Amino acid sequence: MDCLEHVGKALFARYGIAVPRGAVVSSLDAAHAVASPVVVKAQIHVGGRGRAGGVRVCGNEVDARIAVRELLGSTIAGCHVASVLLEEFVDAAAEYYVSLSYDTVTRSPVLAVSVKGGMSVTDATTTPVDIRDGVTDAAIVSCLEREAVPAVHRTSIAEAIRKLWRCFDEEQLLLAEINPLFITRDGRAIAGDAKVVLDDDIVRPQERRFLSLGGDIAILASGGGASLLNIDALLGHGGRPANYTEYSGNPPADVVRDLTVRVLSQEGIRGCWVVGGTANFTDIAATMEGFVAGLRQVIPKPTYPIVVRRDGPRQAEAFAMLRVVAEREGYQLHAFGSETPMEESARLMVKLAYGDTGR
Amino acid sequence: MAILVDESTRVIVQGITGKEGARATAEMMRAGTHVVAGVRPGKAGEMVHGVPVFDTAADALRAHPNANASLIAVPAPAVRVAALEAIAARIPLIVILTEHVPTRATAEVLAAARDAGVRIVGPSSVGILSVGRGKIGAIGSSEIADVFRPGRIGIISKSGGMTAEIAVALRRGGFGVSTAVGIGGDVLIGSDFVDMLRCFQDDGETDAVVCFGEVGGCYEELAAEYLATNAFTKPVVAVVAGRFTDQLPIGTTLGHAGAIVAKGRGSYTSKVTALRNAGVAIADRLEEIPILLRKAFYERSRVKEEGLCPTFAKA
Repeated sequence: MDCLEHVGKALFARYGIAVPRGAVVSSLDAAHAVASPVVVKAQIHVGGRGRAGGVRVCGNEVDARIAVRELLGSTIAGCHVASVLLEEFVDAAAEYYVSLSYDTVTRSPVLAVSVKGGMSVTDATTTPVDIRDGVTDAAIVSCLEREAVPAVHRTSIAEAIRKLWRCFDEEQLLLAEINPLFITRDGRAIAGDAKVVLDDDIVRPQERRFLSLGGDIAILASGGGASLLNIDALLGHGGRPANYTEYSGNPPADVVRDLTVRVLSQEGIRGCWVVGGTANFTDIAATMEGFVAGLRQVIPKPTYPIVVRRDGPRQAEAFAMLRVVAEREGYQLHAFGSETPMEESARLMVKLAYGDTGR
Repeated sequence: MAILVDESTRVIVQGITGKEGARATAEMMRAGTHVVAGVRPGKAGEMVHGVPVFDTAADALRAHPNANASLIAVPAPAVRVAALEAIAARIPLIVILTEHVPTRATAEVLAAARDAGVRIVGPSSVGILSVGRGKIGAIGSSEIADVFRPGRIGIISKSGGMTAEIAVALRRGGFGVSTAVGIGGDVLIGSDFVDMLRCFQDDGETDAVVCFGEVGGCYEELAAEYLATNAFTKPVVAVVAGRFTDQLPIGTTLGHAGAIVAKGRGSYTSKVTALRNAGVAIADRLEEIPILLRKAFYERSRVKEEGLCPTFAKA
């Protein structure tokens, strides 16, 4: 889960990283808290916010109020702006880039530093970090040396990196990025921005990933691999997926039920595709019980076609139950096992949802 | 031969008293694999499916010094300690079944495993199955045992669910499986495609390998780098899931760090391009896998000469 800038900055501040004085406002009335000049920054989860016009530098309070009025409620890079951060303008002598994240090559945290902080950063000097030792002073020195950071800035940058590591390590973050890291004329390091990604497996381990794709075929996929592969297949047949989601592992029936309700409560659904491979150990009967329980809770009652393609332990039992439910309760349900390729069920789903010719 | 798991495998199950641990234990025993001990702190002396339970991995190993693999099926917050225990006991193969392990915990476990020279498979691994020889984990349960037909194709998959589905496609196309490995789809994993390809290269009972990759991370690109060196001499067919994500707005989740550290790798296009350039056949649908395998065998002119295709059990 990524944090908005002001949340990330509050976290950094707790670890002693200096951030500009500022205030978050979500209405115009509150917009005169910070002395001029001021930077007005849209609080949105979008990269390239500066280029998209989400950051304004204002010389006086009048301009600041105009910027707040224009930004609040606007849409930047497809993202609604619900709040803005008003911050003191930092007169920086230099702007650096500093981050800690994970590298899948070394399978360890990695420190990245660049002398070209700001919007145009594309490359950086990187150093893998042994998670048990943390970022050592030797690693920092070597990184700053290789990146040719001017000697006068090294002490304050090194101190910021040490604090950033403590934050990254203790909060078990996936990313802690400061871009730009300002160095003021009197040599202080101040975090000009904060990009923080929390580990979902720590902060919300029970929650299922859900991504709206804007289409009209609701998808319940078993596992990330099935979800990705089948959305590809559906698109290939001209289908419009409404969502990406998945229930992985061996989910209890109530988890599937709740996910079913969520997926089928999306607007404008024209078909429901319950799709998965041949399960190794997932109890298909429990999964389908959950699905049916969810289906019964959806209002209005789904009249669109439902295509189920799934196989694995207790599949025969599950499908017998599905057929009885469909017949007695009047659902347009078609169930297939592994004798029908997933790809074929995608084609059928599209055909049933849109008709032979219609879209 | 197969890889990693065979008749000599002796497994301890950490978290044997839990739902998934007990179930995997029963499944492994049904597949003929020797489960010699279980671990659950505070439950020493109990039995699960006739398997004795110990408080620690070290205790289990003292009582059963022939154990050479561990299956970790403890809840996510307990994985770090369980894995470090198994590593300290120098168990050479540790398979982590648990999903949703925090990345920080995985990083620490992998660092310790590297120092100790221990192999980790997972987290989020569905397991390892050497068809007809034995297995570690929940892969290929007895209820779908006929899905995995013995044969000479290796499977390496990030997705547990798709592992069996690939076996279905192979069976339909007249092929069988030597060993199937679920490597897990997490950001950090203990064994990647390259590690497993190296094992399959040395396996005289595997003629080709099917890889199932997904967008994200750069394990597929690393596999392509390895395959481009020609160190791997057998045909490889790959499926990469998530083509549609290339059309989505560029993910901002990883900030600039994502771009800087990954250097442009991670997308569907990056993975497929790298794999194709390394000579890998890309299957757009699972049903194409056997066709591409047959084509690869034919192109190598080995079909007639060595009678490699199609290949069922050879007793």
